[in-house]
Amino acid sequence: MGSLFSKSKKQSRVTEHDKAVLRLKQQRDKLKQYQKRIELQLEKDRELARKCLQTGRRDRAKLLLRKKKFQETQLSNADKQLENLEKMTADLEFAQVELQVIEGLKQGNVALKKVHDLMDINEIEKIMDETREGVEKQQEIDAILSGALSEEDEENVLAELDALAAEEATSSLPEVPAEDLPEPEANEMVEDATLTAEIDADAPKKKRKNLSEQDKKVLVEA
Amino acid sequence: MMTEFEWPWEYTFPPFFTLQPHEETRNQQIKVWSDLFLRYLKYLNKFQVNINENTFPLFNNDAIKRRLSPETITVILEQLQRTGHAAPLDKRRIEWQVYSYTLEEYANMVYDWIQQTGQLNTICTLYEIASGENSEGTEFHGVDEAVLLNAFRTLENKGKCEVVQLDDSFGIKFF
Repeated sequence: MGSLFSKSKKQSRVTEHDKAVLRLKQQRDKLKQYQKRIELQLEKDRELARKCLQTGRRDRAKLLLRKKKFQETQLSNADKQLENLEKMTADLEFAQVELQVIEGLKQGNVALKKVHDLMDINEIEKIMDETREGVEKQQEIDAILSGALSEEDEENVLAELDALAAEEATSSLPEVPAEDLPEPEANEMVEDATLTAEIDADAPKKKRKNLSEQDKKVLVEA
Repeated sequence: MMTEFEWPWEYTFPPFFTLQPHEETRNQQIKVWSDLFLRYLKYLNKFQVNINENTFPLFNNDAIKRRLSPETITVILEQLQRTGHAAPLDKRRIEWQVYSYTLEEYANMVYDWIQQTGQLNTICTLYEIASGENSEGTEFHGVDEAVLLNAFRTLENKGKCEVVQLDDSFGIKFF
């Protein structure tokens, strides 16, 4: 829409190219009109030939049909020409589109170049340096600020950290068994073992186990 | 399309053919006539009338032997001109162009069609818009080229198209 105002009103927006296309299209229209006319004529001639046949004028009918045939060939010729014209028109129009595409690319290129000109490498480096400096400064400020805070808090923080660590350490120990060791059972087992020693093949094993338990108990008591 | 034209009952009412003296009645009469003009001309696909065309059925009902006088026809056409449906073609106001849509409406119809069919920035012949195969089925198909040309002049003033004359016919480029 911008082009509407930027261009002076008197300057025609119809280019020579358009005129060439227009001329082709006009030719096409003329051919089409010609075809319409011929088609009508053909229909009429056919009717006329039939009438002539009905009234017995064979020669006249033949003549008319011959004329019709001739016109039919003309019609197909016109069709071919029409095809040529349409092809030419399409080619021209497509060429125009291509031109516009190239123009568009060209303008895009120019715009890109302009942007690149604006972006000087040194300047960018400078900007990047400044940014880096800024970041560093920010970090410094952060350090100072957090340092100021930790003056009094640091101890608390450390204390809390220790408390947390201690908690962690206790919780990681295995749990102390809550129930008492089954002492009476152990004694029974000893008696049993002596009773069943001969019968049970596993007895010696059990016995040994019981013995070791007893040893443990002795140790604990000691 | 080629069904018989339906005349309104007024067409067989003799006083209808004479301008009525009473203002309100006359206004009503002119309104009915204007509608009838547009409807009948659209039916015939005719866009041009001559006020002296005596035998034209619109001006002349043989069955009741009544005829519109050229003066009355002029009054009706002037009313149509006021609503944008007619324009005189000569200084003596004898030949008139009449169209069922206003020029603006035609211009918009064609412009919409051009937009929808992707023909902006492409030059077209007047013939292909008015009678081409592509425009078949549109409201403006078959419209008198002179009428369309006038419609495009209004578009041209808005900068939406440009009309060029090449040899004996016209081309239009839409923007």
